[in-house]
Amino acid sequence: MSVAAQSERAPAGSRSEWLTPALASLLALLLLAATVEIVLDGAVGHSPLIPKSPPIAGWLQGLGERLGYRVFLVAILASAGAYAGLVALGRRSTEAVISKRWALILIGALHLVVFAGPVLLSTDVFSYIAYARMGVEHGLNPYTHGPGAISHDPVFPYVGHDWRHVATAYGPLYTLLSYPFAPLGLKGALWAMKLEALLASAGTLALIWRCARARRLDPVWAILVVGANPLYIVYGLGGAHNDLLMLLVMMAAVSLTLVNGSSPRRQGAAAALVVAGALIKATVAALLPFMVLARRSLAPILGALAALIAGALIGYAAFGVHGVDVVAALNRDAAFVSTDSFATEIAHLFGKPGVFPIDHDLLKAALVLIILHLLWRTWRGYDWIAASGWTLLAISVTSTWLLAWYILWPLPLAVISRDRRLLVATLVIQGLFLAHQISPLLAPVQ
Amino acid sequence: MSETPATAAGERGQRLPGWLRPRSIELPGSGRMRLIETTLLVLVAVLLAVATVNDLVRQTHVNHRLIADLHTWRVYTGHTYHNLSVEQELFGRASQREVVCGNTSPGAPKARTQLCLAIWGPVVNGRRTVHGGWYLPPKSEDVRARRYGCFGEASRGLCTR
Repeated sequence: MSVAAQSERAPAGSRSEWLTPALASLLALLLLAATVEIVLDGAVGHSPLIPKSPPIAGWLQGLGERLGYRVFLVAILASAGAYAGLVALGRRSTEAVISKRWALILIGALHLVVFAGPVLLSTDVFSYIAYARMGVEHGLNPYTHGPGAISHDPVFPYVGHDWRHVATAYGPLYTLLSYPFAPLGLKGALWAMKLEALLASAGTLALIWRCARARRLDPVWAILVVGANPLYIVYGLGGAHNDLLMLLVMMAAVSLTLVNGSSPRRQGAAAALVVAGALIKATVAALLPFMVLARRSLAPILGALAALIAGALIGYAAFGVHGVDVVAALNRDAAFVSTDSFATEIAHLFGKPGVFPIDHDLLKAALVLIILHLLWRTWRGYDWIAASGWTLLAISVTSTWLLAWYILWPLPLAVISRDRRLLVATLVIQGLFLAHQISPLLAPVQ
Repeated sequence: MSETPATAAGERGQRLPGWLRPRSIELPGSGRMRLIETTLLVLVAVLLAVATVNDLVRQTHVNHRLIADLHTWRVYTGHTYHNLSVEQELFGRASQREVVCGNTSPGAPKARTQLCLAIWGPVVNGRRTVHGGWYLPPKSEDVRARRYGCFGEASRGLCTR
C-alpha cells in the first residue's frame, strides 16, 4: 500500500473509531428515551394499554400524557429499531462497542425505569396476587377456584375479565412462592411481585453472563441482547410476569451444566432445577429430554425424578390432586386462541375465520415432529442448549395462544447457544409479533 | 471458569457402548442437514412474514370500516360521543356488519339509554348505511331481551318488543 493510500485511509479509520461508539450511544439513548416515554405516559393511567391498577406510580404523574396506541407503538418501534441497531453493531465490531460498564448502566436504567412505573400491558400480575390471596387470606384452593370466588377481595376488580373464573395454570412451586406476598396487602403484594420480577431478571442476566463466559462468547453482548430487548423490558418486566422467574431457574440449570465442571451431582442438580422451573411454569420442562440425551448418564434422570417426587408430594400436600395435575391445566390453556398467534394469522391467510380444532391437532403434530428431529440431532451431538431453545421457540410459534412474553423464552438460550440461527429466528419472530401490533398506527380507531 | 469439555463426559461414559456415549462434536453429515434446516427455516419465516403482513392489512381494513361506523353513528345521532361500543359478532365477524351502541345523552359509558345502530355496506364519504337499530335501557348489555323500540330491516327477529 502506498503512503498516499495510507494517508487517505487513516481519517476514514479514525472516523469509524469514534462513529461506531457514538452511534451505539445514540441508539442506547433512544432505547432509554422510548422506554421512559412509555412509563411516564403509562403512569398517567386511563389508558387501554395500562391495566386498571391501584395507584402505585402516582409520583410519576404529571410528567407525561395519557398513553395512547399511537405513542406506544411509535415508542416500541423506536426502541425495537434502536435495539436492533445495538445488537447488529455489537456483532459486527471486533472491539467492544459498548463497554461492560455502559452496558450495565443501560440495562440497569431500563430495569429501574420500568420497575418504578405502573404495571404495563397485562393484568396477569393481579391474577398471581388473587391466587395467593385465595390460598392465604380466604382458605380457598387456587387450583379448584377462580378469582371469582373472592369477588369481595380488593384484588378482584383488577383481575382480567377473561381470567375471573379460571383456576390457576401455574405450577404449585410458583403458587407457594407467591403466598408470602398475600398478607402484604394489595399494594404491598404488587410491589413485591414487581421486585420479584426485577430480581429474577437481574439473576437471569448474571447467569447468562456466566454461561457466555463459559462458552467463550462475549458476555457483554449476551446480556445486552436479553437485558435491553424491548419485549423483555416492556412486556416481560413491565407486566411483572412470572416467566422471568421461570427463566431464572432455567438459566440456573443451564449454568450448572456449563460452569466449573459438570460432576454427576451438578448434572443431577441441573435436572432437578429444570423440574423446579416446570413447577413454576410447565414450559421449561422442554429442556429436560435434551439435557438427559446430551449427558447420557444416570445423574440427570435421578435428579429429575427426585425433584419430581418432592414437587408432587409438596403440590399434593398443599393443593390436593389438582395441584399436581399439570396436564389438565396445559390442555385447557392449549385450547385458547389469541388474535396475535401465528396460527390465527395463517388461518386468516388461507381465508378461514380462525383456528379450528383440526388446526390444534395439526399444530401439535408439527411440534412433535420438530421435537423428535431436535432429539435426533441432539443424539448425534448437536448443542442441547440450542435444541432446547428451538423447542421453546417452536412451542411459542405453534401455540394458538401467543402472548409477547412467550417469545422471550428462547432468548436467554439463543444468546449462549452454538447455533446463531436460533438467535436470528427468535429476533425475527419477535419482529413479526411487533409488526402485527401496528394496525392502530395505520388506521387509528377513535 | 469454562464449559466442561464433552470429552470429560465422554470419559465418564467409557463404560457405555460407543453408539451411546456422549458426543463432543456432531456426527459427520450435519452440514447437509444444516442446509436443509436453514432452507426450511427460511420458508417458514417467509410464510410467517406473509401471514403477518396479510393480517396487518386485513386488520387495517377492519379499522377503516370501524372508523366509518363510528362516524356514521355520530352523524346519524348528532352526538359527538367518544365512548361508543362496536359489536362485530351479532351478524358474524365475516359478514362485515356491525352494531354500534352509544348513550343518547351525556354520561358514563352505558349509563344512559343507549341507541344501537346496525350498519353495513360500502364506505362512502367516510360513512356506511344504517339498516335499522334499537334502544337499550341504561346499564344494560345488548341482549335480545333488553332491546326495545326496534326499527328498520336489521332489527327483524332481533327484538322482543
